[in-house]
Amino acid sequence: MSTGDAVVACQGLTHVYLRGTPFEAVALEGVDLVIRRGECVGVVGRTGSGKSTLVQHFNGLLRPTEGSVWVDGVRLDGRGETVREVRRRVGLVFQYPEHQLFEETVFQDVAFGPRNLGLDPEEVEERVRESLRWVGLDPERFGPRSPLSLSGGEMRRVAIAGVLAMRPKVLVLDEPTAGLDPRGRREILEHIRRWRREQHLTVVLVSHSMDDVARLCDRVVVLHRGRVFLDAPVREAFAQADRLRGVGLDVPRVTDVLLRLRAGGLPVRTDCLTVEEACEEIVSALQAGGSAWSSSEA
Amino acid sequence: MELLRSLTIGQYVPRASPVHRLDPRTKVLATTALLVVVFLARDFAALGLFALFLVVCLLLAQIPVEFVLRGLRPIWFLLVLTLLLQVFFGAASEGTALWRLGPLVATREGLMQGLFVTARLVLLVVATSLLTFTTSPVELADGMERLLRPFRRVGVPAHELAMMMTIALRFIPTLVEETEKIMKAQMARGADLDTGGLLRRARALVPILVPLFVSAFRRADELALAMEARCYRGGEGRTRMKQLRFRGPDAFAAAVVLLASFMVLLPGRVRW
Repeated sequence: MSTGDAVVACQGLTHVYLRGTPFEAVALEGVDLVIRRGECVGVVGRTGSGKSTLVQHFNGLLRPTEGSVWVDGVRLDGRGETVREVRRRVGLVFQYPEHQLFEETVFQDVAFGPRNLGLDPEEVEERVRESLRWVGLDPERFGPRSPLSLSGGEMRRVAIAGVLAMRPKVLVLDEPTAGLDPRGRREILEHIRRWRREQHLTVVLVSHSMDDVARLCDRVVVLHRGRVFLDAPVREAFAQADRLRGVGLDVPRVTDVLLRLRAGGLPVRTDCLTVEEACEEIVSALQAGGSAWSSSEA
Repeated sequence: MELLRSLTIGQYVPRASPVHRLDPRTKVLATTALLVVVFLARDFAALGLFALFLVVCLLLAQIPVEFVLRGLRPIWFLLVLTLLLQVFFGAASEGTALWRLGPLVATREGLMQGLFVTARLVLLVVATSLLTFTTSPVELADGMERLLRPFRRVGVPAHELAMMMTIALRFIPTLVEETEKIMKAQMARGADLDTGGLLRRARALVPILVPLFVSAFRRADELALAMEARCYRGGEGRTRMKQLRFRGPDAFAAAVVLLASFMVLLPGRVRW
C-alpha cells in the first residue's frame, strides 16, 4: 500500500471520552487507517463501534487522546490555522444534517460555510447556486424558501449543499440516507456517485446499510469495539460473510441471496455487488449446468 | 465542548453506596437542613467541621472528591468575584489595612470575611451536588412530589411540578449532547466560536441556538404525543412502580445529619 497519495491517515489513533471521570469510555483504540485520493471508503460497524468518533478526527473536531492524524500530509496539531485549513479540505456531513439548518432562507443557509471562509459576495452566490444544483435543487425555486418548509429529503440535500459549498476535497458523510424513503435514499446515493466522478471527490461513507456501501464504495473498513476489524476491497470484505455476521453485521442483500443459492447447491460466485451483476451471474450459472439444480428444485 | 461535558453540577453518579440507597425524601430534607446550617454557621471552625462532614459523606457515597472539585470549575469566576467584592466593598471596611489600590482599601477583616463568604458558597454548591450526585432525577422528582403533597390543599400542583422537574432534568443531557452536535456541525462549516469580541461571539451563537430551539420544540411535541399515547392524564389516581419507604438507614442518616448540624452550630467556645 503506497501512502504517497494518502489524503487522510491515522496512526495509532486512540480516543477516550471523559478521561478521568466515572464516565470514561474508550471509543477508539490504536486505529491505523489510510484513505487515498479519489477513493470511496465505507466505514461500517455496529452502533457504538466508534465510527462517528473516527470521522470527527478527520477534520479536527476531535483531537486524538493518543496517536496522530494527517490530512494532506499535514499533521493535525490543534493549532487554529491548521484546523481552519483542514475544515475547508474535509467536509463533514453529520447524521441528520437537516437539524443544523438555521437561516431564514435556503440560500442564506448554504452561504454560511462560504461566508465563514471570507469569500466575496459574488463568489459566495456562485458557490451557493452551484451547490444547490449539485444536490438537484433549483436555486431559483428553492433559494428564497425557508429551509424549515421543505420536505425531509429536501432539507437533507440543502444541508449537504451547505457542506459542498465549502468545496471540500474529502467528503465525509455520516449515515446520509438514515430516515429517508427509498427514493430519497436512491437520489442521495446517485448524487454522491456523481460528485465523485465529476469533482474527483474522495468520499468516506459511514453507514449501517451494507447495500449502500456495496453500491457505492471501493473499500470497506469494519470497526468493532473501537478497533479496525477488517479493511478490504468491497468484494473481498463481503465474501467474508461469516466474519461480518460474527461481529453483528450483515452482508448486502444481493450477497445474501447469492450465498443462499450457493448453499442450496447452485454454483454461483458470491462477490457480486449490484442486482444486475447478480442476475447475470445466476443466469450464467444456471446455463452452465445448474439446470439440473433448477429442475430438481421445481 | 469540554466545558459542557465537565459540567458536573446536577449530574447523577450511579453507585451502590449506602447514601445512594437512602430514601430521596431523607436526602432532600437533609440537604435542606444542611443548606440552612451553612448559612447559620458563624466562624471558620464551623465551616471546617461542616466541610469535614461533607467529605465523609462523599467518601461514603464513593464519589471522588476530585470529581466534586471539577464541578466547581464553571463557577470559579463567581467565586473570585465574590471574594474581591467582599474584600474591597464588604461591610468590614474598617480595620487593619493590608494594602491599598487607589481609593480602595483591603483590610484584614475584609479579607477574612471574603474568604468566609467564598468558602460558604463552595460548601453550598458541594452540599447540593451531593444530593444530585447520589439521587437519580426520577427518584428526586418522586421525593419532591411526596414532600409537596401536603401542600396540594393550598393549591400547589405537586405532581405537575415533579413531572416538569423530571422532564427538565431528563432532557439536560440530551440538550447538552444536541448542542455539542450542532456546534460541531457548524464548526465543520467553518463557524468560528472562540474568537472575536463580545458582539461577534454573541452573533456566532445564532447558528447554534436556532437549531437547538427547533429541536427542543420537536422533542417536546414528540414527548407529549408519546405520553398521551400511554394515556398520561396527570397525577390524579396515578399509581407508581417504586413505592417510597423510610427504612432504618433513613432514621440513622437523619440522626447523623441532625447531630452534625448541632455540632456545627454550637458556639465556638462550647464546642471544644
